[in-house]
Amino acid sequence: MHFHIAVAVIIWAALFVESRKIRGISISYKRFYKERKSFLCIDGSKLIPFEQVNDDYCDCADGSDEPGTAACPSGRFYCTNLGFRPHYIQSSRVNDGICDCCDGSDEYSSPALCQKTCRNLGQQERAELEERMRMLSEGLLMKRQLVEEGADVWREKQAELTDLQKVAEDLQVRLEYLRRRKSDAGAQKEKALTAAQHPTGQEGLRSQIRAELPLDDHGQSLQDTDRLGDKDEGVEPRTDSAAPREESPNEAEVRGGDPSEDDPDVKAAVEAAESAVSDLNKAEEAHQRLQMEIRELEERLAIDYGPEREFLFLLGRCFQITAYEYSYTLCPFNQVTQKSQMGTEVLLGKWDAWDGPPEDLYGVMKYDRGEPCWQGPTRSTHVQLVCGTDSTLRWVKEPSKCHYAMELQTPAACQPQQPSRRGVHNEL
Amino acid sequence: MYMQTCVMGLLLVALLPVLFSIADAVDRSNFKTCDQSAFCKRQRDVKPGQSPYRALLETMELSEARLTLQLINDNNKVRLLLELYRLQGNMTRVRINELKPLRPRYEVPDVLIQEPPTESLLLLERDEHGMVLSLGVDDQRLIINARPFRLDIMDGPKVLLSLNSRGLLVFEHLRLRKDTISHKISSTVGSMWDKIKSVFSSKTEADAEGVENDVEQNEAEKVEEVEEVTEEEEQPGMWEETFKSHSDAKPSGPSSISLDFSFPGVDHVYGIPEHADSLKLRTTDGGEPYRLYNLDVFQYELYNPMALYGAVPVLLSHTAERTMGLFWLNAAETWVDISSSRAVQGGGDAPQTDVRWISESGIIDVFIMLGPRPTDVISQYASLTGTQSFPPLSALAYHQCRWNYNDQEDVQAVDNGFDEYDIPYDFIWLDIEHTDGKRYFTWDPNKFSQPREMLQNLKDKKRKMVTIVDPHIKVDSSYKIHKEIRSKDFYIKNKDGGDYEGWCWPGNAGYPDFTNPEMRAWWATMFAYDQYEGTMDNLYTWNDMNEPSVFNGPEVTMHKDALHGGWEHRDVHNLYGFYVQMATAQGLIQRSGGVERPFVLTRAFFAGSQRYGAVWTGDNAAEWGHLKMSIPMCLSLGLVGISFCGADVGGFFKTPSPELLVRWYQAGAYQPFFRAHAHLDTPRREPWLFGPENTALIREAVRQRYTLLPYWYQLFYNAHRTGQPVMRPLWLEYPGDPATFAIEDEFLLGKDLLVHPVTDEGSHGVTAFLPGEGEVWYDVHTYKKHQGNLNLYIPVTMNSIPVFQRGGSIITRKERVRRSSSCMEDDPYTLYVAVNAQGTAEGELYIDDGHTFNYEKQNQFIHRRLTFTEGSLSSSNLSPDSQFSTASWVEKVIFIGVPKPSAATLRTADGAESPLEFEFDPASELLALRKPGVNAGADWTIHLR
Repeated sequence: MHFHIAVAVIIWAALFVESRKIRGISISYKRFYKERKSFLCIDGSKLIPFEQVNDDYCDCADGSDEPGTAACPSGRFYCTNLGFRPHYIQSSRVNDGICDCCDGSDEYSSPALCQKTCRNLGQQERAELEERMRMLSEGLLMKRQLVEEGADVWREKQAELTDLQKVAEDLQVRLEYLRRRKSDAGAQKEKALTAAQHPTGQEGLRSQIRAELPLDDHGQSLQDTDRLGDKDEGVEPRTDSAAPREESPNEAEVRGGDPSEDDPDVKAAVEAAESAVSDLNKAEEAHQRLQMEIRELEERLAIDYGPEREFLFLLGRCFQITAYEYSYTLCPFNQVTQKSQMGTEVLLGKWDAWDGPPEDLYGVMKYDRGEPCWQGPTRSTHVQLVCGTDSTLRWVKEPSKCHYAMELQTPAACQPQQPSRRGVHNEL
Repeated sequence: MYMQTCVMGLLLVALLPVLFSIADAVDRSNFKTCDQSAFCKRQRDVKPGQSPYRALLETMELSEARLTLQLINDNNKVRLLLELYRLQGNMTRVRINELKPLRPRYEVPDVLIQEPPTESLLLLERDEHGMVLSLGVDDQRLIINARPFRLDIMDGPKVLLSLNSRGLLVFEHLRLRKDTISHKISSTVGSMWDKIKSVFSSKTEADAEGVENDVEQNEAEKVEEVEEVTEEEEQPGMWEETFKSHSDAKPSGPSSISLDFSFPGVDHVYGIPEHADSLKLRTTDGGEPYRLYNLDVFQYELYNPMALYGAVPVLLSHTAERTMGLFWLNAAETWVDISSSRAVQGGGDAPQTDVRWISESGIIDVFIMLGPRPTDVISQYASLTGTQSFPPLSALAYHQCRWNYNDQEDVQAVDNGFDEYDIPYDFIWLDIEHTDGKRYFTWDPNKFSQPREMLQNLKDKKRKMVTIVDPHIKVDSSYKIHKEIRSKDFYIKNKDGGDYEGWCWPGNAGYPDFTNPEMRAWWATMFAYDQYEGTMDNLYTWNDMNEPSVFNGPEVTMHKDALHGGWEHRDVHNLYGFYVQMATAQGLIQRSGGVERPFVLTRAFFAGSQRYGAVWTGDNAAEWGHLKMSIPMCLSLGLVGISFCGADVGGFFKTPSPELLVRWYQAGAYQPFFRAHAHLDTPRREPWLFGPENTALIREAVRQRYTLLPYWYQLFYNAHRTGQPVMRPLWLEYPGDPATFAIEDEFLLGKDLLVHPVTDEGSHGVTAFLPGEGEVWYDVHTYKKHQGNLNLYIPVTMNSIPVFQRGGSIITRKERVRRSSSCMEDDPYTLYVAVNAQGTAEGELYIDDGHTFNYEKQNQFIHRRLTFTEGSLSSSNLSPDSQFSTASWVEKVIFIGVPKPSAATLRTADGAESPLEFEFDPASELLALRKPGVNAGADWTIHLR
């Protein structure tokens, strides 16, 4: 091993011997530093004697005469970092006593004893890169699956919505009927009461009332009520109310029961009116519930689950992580909460929107409108999403008071590799 | 730091009404007005012109340097003893105490660096009306007038200063309480006196005789007094006082003192910090006096004489002809009234300023510093209380603080952020949350489980850390610090003799008695690396809440009847913070075996605190007004010896706009202590969080600070040696120009840099006054030349920091700005030679190792004089006895305001001559010499021809 390195160094030294003076430049820049009488600053601003290149005095405004020293304020030094990635560091980090290049080349004239760590770093980086690539490809496969699952879920949700909307329409019709029935029954009650106060010669009216009494069936289902309606009012029969008809005890009582010592007609009219009100109330409640369900579903469906709805699978799931004395729960697209060891729970934010930078909008989720902080803002949480082969919270922090940050790892965040920025960057 | 936010629910509930009744301004009702402070009210009710005091000239005794004389109050026949000293360096000391106090009265120890050396007093004349003494210098005389008692200090025919000329000398003598309970107590006291007497009389005859005589004499006089003394009317608040729900038992009764000083011809007085107020003190007629009583004030108001965190009872008077100073050495609650009037003097209408000091206890001990120049007054004061400690060089660099950096990971992320955004910094700070439950000297076991590793990581980047260590100690029997303090009986006691306890960050807390030297010695040992676990040599200390802050105490501080050994807290209050910082600095020195210089920041301070480190202006707010106020506040502190001053950059409370933050960095970069800090409730504000443009602006401001570090270091060395402030009001250097007297929106660094920070929102320009007839000033960014003695309008953009170099000066910079100041240690210097109208310039260069006492103990430093005259720039040794070698060399010399030379030659100490390349810009008369390359510690000369 050592032998190999030695050989490599010798070969390297032989290759670069002609420009050994020019410390701190990359091969691609060698052409600017050909040994001549003079040196032209790369920006063309000045011509200086070649001896003044890397002589620890800054002559060129662009810093190009001092690539290997700390003399120029805006200069940069090229770490060759054989075995690892080459890269540039600021000139100010040359000979500052701190090792920046893994080959130690930045501290050539300083008391710092730099370990040569490029080989290790290179190995480490390659291993990490492999691991990342492996994870990425695995993650992308999983993501595919999630996208498909997401599509199914989406379809299901859509169907559910359609169903609910249908039910709601029917219920709307039913409501209209019940409202009418309520007002009719009310009127009947008034009539019966009036008749009871004038006992003579009112029999005809009474029987009329009795005949018109809408029949009651306390506690019956919507369908049952509908059926009653069918019978009395001749409303369009519902196609789905095919259940056999049953007589309720109340019906039996109203029709065949012994009239009480009070006026039975009045009693019946009052009961009928009450039951009409109660039916309507129940139906209205049911309608409200249904509308709420629809609204919720619509809201959920209106959320942006990513370009391929890859994040949809997170809906309805929750993730937990514990940090110091608190445990945190993230329910994506819903809310973030914090629970102390003593059990008190605090809302750290409700789903707001995707909040990543334009080039990576889906990289960050924002939850806000959490519980207000004492003397402070309302709590909020930013969730960063990173690619991984499972979905789990990696960390949580509170960088400023009541502003939380967490990282969620999930296959859904995996992106096919961009044309990479690997290797040397920041070349002119 | 803060008087806000949660410690624990209980505490909050308990304190809510006290602390937070007003959300965003000081709640004045938490703090006393003069009327609410019984002694201040009593004293202020005394009207001028009826002094009952008479000097008993026949009692005069004059030794070589000390004159004593009895004064008698003709109303109550109580006698006082006046002592007069002429001190070396043109000062006069006046002490007044009771001739025979019932009990000793407190005399402030440890503030003077030595017993001030005296010079002989000469009696010139004497008659039945008074006497005249010579004060040695020139024609300066001290006149004692007998009836009413009055002192005048004269310079020839001119009165410089009069004492008791308004008859406001009031000395409340200690007395016995009249009601029955206190009679019982007093009879006990009386019998104790008898016992003491009998102890003395049982001693050997020879010993006892003198004592006996004394005691007898005392007794005799007491009897006499008892006969003579006419009982004064009892006034409310003499024996007990209540403020809000707090009562002060006052077992010793009234004890306050007061004296007036008149400055004929004076219109401008300065000093008596700390107040968030203008540089020039204002008249207090019809308003509140300036108050000196160290207090933790939540969200302080600007332009207000209310007391703040620190107190330095030093006042300077200034006219174009003469500067003088008063140092009122008293550590009790003190109020200062200032009134100005115009008196007819010598036929003309002349101003006069009257100053009246009122303190709650102790004695009158006042140092009159007679100048005559401003620098003389400053030297005179420095000779009494010492000079600014010489900080480690890195402490002059940039500090990054926040309440709080949450954990080690957070610290590392912030540290990396500075590298990523290429902004230098030297110190990262940890506020109270880093501790294990607000137990100082400990680390949170989860968030800071590996402090050494964290410190080592910082050290690897040549950076440092500060942790907070406050003086309130959690009462917790499992906490080592508490246990030891309790077992050593080092806590301050309450009036009933138990350990005093109050609420602070940890909940219930005890307060160590820092006035006790044994306590301080023990405290210092707690900073040893094996005591303060997890610490290393790159960890330094911050003392906060040392007024002391007691959340549930009167005025958020300690009860005055608490006991420090035999003294009441009332007597020592303003000294507490001074002692905390003293003991902490001692600890940091000791842990390195006396090798390393300490760095300790304190919030509370007193006269002499300059010897122990830095101060900051406490819990300011992210408002433009607070940015402006940072200038007069630090200028006032500089005038009274405390040079190492700064304000929280960005403002502590509230959230600064990016513009305000940038402007604050730009101003802070040119103020002595340069630290950004933020309240827990505010969003993060590390310099890179406001977009690339603002990051670049902040980076540039911080870089300017770093390039100037050699100049800052030299200024601090100078402040350490002479006491001359680093940050100076213009009048200090231009004392004859009245146009400078009230300027507080710009300042000088040393005498060579003038800084006019931009402190207005949306500013498009500032008007700077460039002082000095015949002076020239050069814009340090454009090198544009301006004549002195004019108002200059300077258009500004967001990156403007108006700074000017004085023609005639040479300023040294290091222009290779690196990650931290330590990384720049061996870097070369660039000299900026700005010539004056005569074509000359001079400056200094100071170099040492930057962090040890070797400069002092082993003379290891380089101190050079740089002079430019007749076309020759040379470096010569200012301190031939010292030795130090540096790797730094001279990289470049820039001459500003010179004609183009035909040649430049360097001549080194060995006589060798070599030509130097140069560039010349005729438009700005800027000449840059390329790479002289000489060692910064060597002799050399550069000739321009």
